[in-house]
Amino acid sequence: MSLRRRLILSLFTILVLFAINVGTHFWGSYARSESMVAYRDAVTAAQLSAQVEQQLDDQRQQILVLATLRDTTDDQLDSPELAQAEQDIRSIRGNISELGELSPEVTELQYQRLWAAGGELLDGWLAFYRNYNDPAFDLDVEDPLPYLEASQRLKELEQRQAFIAVQRANIIDRTIALTDRITVIGFFASIFLTAMLGFFLVRYTNSSLKRLKRGTERFGSGDLNYRIDNINDDGELGDLAAAFNTMSDKLRNAIYDVQRSKDEADEANAAKSIFLANVSHELRTPLNAIIGYSEMLHDELDDRDEVDRPQFQRDLARIVQSGRQLLSLINDILDLSKIETGKMSLHCESFNPGEVLTQVCDSLAPLLKQRNNALQLPDFSELPPMYSDATKFRQIFVNLLSNACKFTDKGYISVAAGTVSGKDGWYEFSVRDTGIGMTDDQQAKVFDAFVQADSSTSANYGGTGLGLAICRDYCEMMGGKISVQSTEGEGSTFTVILPADPELAHAAA
Amino acid sequence: MTEKTRVLLVEDNELNRDMLIRRLNRAGIDVVTAENGQKALEMMHQETPEVVLMDMNLPVMDGWTASRKAREDDTIKHIPIIALTAHAMEADRLNALEAGCDDYATKPVDFPGLLIKIEKLTR
Repeated sequence: MSLRRRLILSLFTILVLFAINVGTHFWGSYARSESMVAYRDAVTAAQLSAQVEQQLDDQRQQILVLATLRDTTDDQLDSPELAQAEQDIRSIRGNISELGELSPEVTELQYQRLWAAGGELLDGWLAFYRNYNDPAFDLDVEDPLPYLEASQRLKELEQRQAFIAVQRANIIDRTIALTDRITVIGFFASIFLTAMLGFFLVRYTNSSLKRLKRGTERFGSGDLNYRIDNINDDGELGDLAAAFNTMSDKLRNAIYDVQRSKDEADEANAAKSIFLANVSHELRTPLNAIIGYSEMLHDELDDRDEVDRPQFQRDLARIVQSGRQLLSLINDILDLSKIETGKMSLHCESFNPGEVLTQVCDSLAPLLKQRNNALQLPDFSELPPMYSDATKFRQIFVNLLSNACKFTDKGYISVAAGTVSGKDGWYEFSVRDTGIGMTDDQQAKVFDAFVQADSSTSANYGGTGLGLAICRDYCEMMGGKISVQSTEGEGSTFTVILPADPELAHAAA
Repeated sequence: MTEKTRVLLVEDNELNRDMLIRRLNRAGIDVVTAENGQKALEMMHQETPEVVLMDMNLPVMDGWTASRKAREDDTIKHIPIIALTAHAMEADRLNALEAGCDDYATKPVDFPGLLIKIEKLTR
């Protein structure tokens, strides 16, 4: 749960508890005021009842006295006295009806009875007063029954009201006790809940923060694979942890990228150093022969009268041969260096590959004869023209064919060329020989610079060990590739696949 | 020096081999040859030369391996070996000495220097 929602929930809960307390307080107040009203009603009712009882008693005494007087004297009641009497009776009636208004809903029955009995009594009394001065009227007021009835009903009403008052007071007491209890319980519940919420809020927040802190420390100390897990928090801290993990991933990848670039740079640097060491080694080998033979001839000229001319010529030829080897080595190194620094560019023109192949084979005829090899050259006139770098194309096959001539003795060398079926605009050329061949290990690195089958190869067969590296680079520049298949002792087949137009091949790739 | 010094030249390059044989002969040194490390070990047993001039980049068995094996073989381990190589870096010199060679000469060979080295080791 998010931190914000937790806080809102806590706040809401506390507010609800507070509202309950306030509500209970108002309910208590209302109950108290209710009790006051009931109490006042009870007191008023008691007073009124007492007053009515007193009035009834007084009136009855007065009527009994008047009745006796009437029987014994002929005194008439004058109109003020009559009016006063009527006034008194109205007052009693008014008081009775006032009694009825106090708690009318629970004293209705008693009140109705009192009202009926009282009404009858008061009607009788009123008739007594009104007909007092009429001697013909028989006044029957000595009968105590109506009065007793009315008194009885009044008492019943009084009792009823007292009972109701007590009952209400009990209910109200209970209500007040209940509200007090609720208030206290609510208060303690608020404190408890607030404390609990605070505790859990702090605990969960703290554990998440600790994980974040640990994650930051571990990652910061170089543990790039450390991730914050077990975050059971889908809120802000969970988001923060997820963001941290995402950041960690990106940082780790960035660091790995930098590391990889550095490794690649180091590797390239190491490769350069090895290349330089190899260059130095390869230059020294022919130089050794040149300097050695020159010094030797110099010495021979110094201390001999007669020079062995044929021997002298052979030695000079060796110096020239070594010098040429040195020159071709330097040229190859320069070419390779140009390719690798990206300074070698293609000069495309339209040419007929069949024609170029035939020319190459013609020019290598002397080399072919040196080791008594036979060349099989098919008719290439059907080959469609290419738009590519003819010079590099020529160089590739000069290198491949000279290799084939060098490493084959009294064998066959065949050249094949054709278009690749199913791949429009692609050519496949192959140069096959029946020479010394190569092992799988040698095949794997034969296209690397300065690698020949073994180190005696250059001594026995010549060459710089750069020719195939240059062939591979040229093929790749022209959008194609070169591969080799060979069996040791049986011969080798070099296969070159080239597009008709390097631009189209690059666009398709 | 009543007897001629005998040297075993281990070299796979035909030109270099021919050139060194002739120059050593002219300097009054007998030369026997081998084309690879394997043959060199055989020749060291057969001919017991006083010094071995060992090229390092050799077919079949290279000069480092041959030198190491020679040092482990009791019958030939006393024969001094001079490494001859076109590898001119300091690390290459250390490699050769580590393999058990007694001295080291880079190609192109400084011939008078080489003669001094041979003389030093045969004295």
